[in-house]
Amino acid sequence: MSRTRIHRPGGSRRAFFGRMATVGALAGGGLLCPTAARADDGEEGQPNPIPGGLAPFAPFAIFIHHNPLNPAVPLANISDPSQITDFNGFVGLTHIRGGGTGTNTATGASMPLAYRADMGFSQGEFIGTDGKHHEATFGFV
Amino acid sequence: MYTGPVGSANLPQQIHDYNVHIDANQVFWMIRVPDDAVDVDFRRGRATLRLADLEVFDDHDIANSLTYGLGLPGDLGFPYPEIPPVFPVRATVSVEVNWNAVLEAARIRNDSQRFEGLFLQTETTVRWSSRQQGFAFESEAPNPARNLISVLGRERNGAFFEERERAELRE
Repeated sequence: MSRTRIHRPGGSRRAFFGRMATVGALAGGGLLCPTAARADDGEEGQPNPIPGGLAPFAPFAIFIHHNPLNPAVPLANISDPSQITDFNGFVGLTHIRGGGTGTNTATGASMPLAYRADMGFSQGEFIGTDGKHHEATFGFV
Repeated sequence: MYTGPVGSANLPQQIHDYNVHIDANQVFWMIRVPDDAVDVDFRRGRATLRLADLEVFDDHDIANSLTYGLGLPGDLGFPYPEIPPVFPVRATVSVEVNWNAVLEAARIRNDSQRFEGLFLQTETTVRWSSRQQGFAFESEAPNPARNLISVLGRERNGAFFEERERAELRE
């Protein structure tokens, strides 16, 4: 496996929240966002997120505009499964687990691994950040 | 992706987390794909999502994904394990998700979340793979027993929900 690690700075609560705010702002500007870089090009229209969602690591200032499916919640009581608002179309969402094989491609060594995945799509009409109507298909990955 | 048996979802055991990142407009993990990547036959409760070699990030774990690579502190009294920061790396994933076999149907109108539609709970199978420098993953054969919950919907929300509401008031 190849990954780059950065040194974890020392950790007061204030320092951590300060870094969160800074990095959140950077990410909000699109520095780590290939999706935005593509979607903003041309006149394809950029969707708006659903207003709701959840804060998975409260009290940290992390809010995601997504309602994950929960097997314990009856279908009739699910929250909006779409990630985008002002949307009219088809949506698919799955919450699944499974297994597979990971391989170190440098050595050829392999090992069994488990996964949990949330995947889906939205296909239809939406009103974009430009206020115009658009038709598009989005993958949720 | 976790070291451990199927069903493992213990954060300290996570070693890969693939997604397209939250975009500049805060849309969560969505990316525009070709229209023919999705095939929906809603009346039969079927749909397919097929993506080949989609460029994504591997954030290592969900904590680093949602903290933009900062990880989580473990010494501040919060109910989370310490997760060291990890910088994302580029990867590609290929995915085939099949929704089929309707288990339940429900018509939902949710005035507080402002969405409505017809929703189907379905069986689902997934086959997917990933590739990045030094590592590749291939999932097991599609297995309906792995599905935890899956939903297909024909819905409207936001302005389209309000549009319908206004039309109903006029009638």
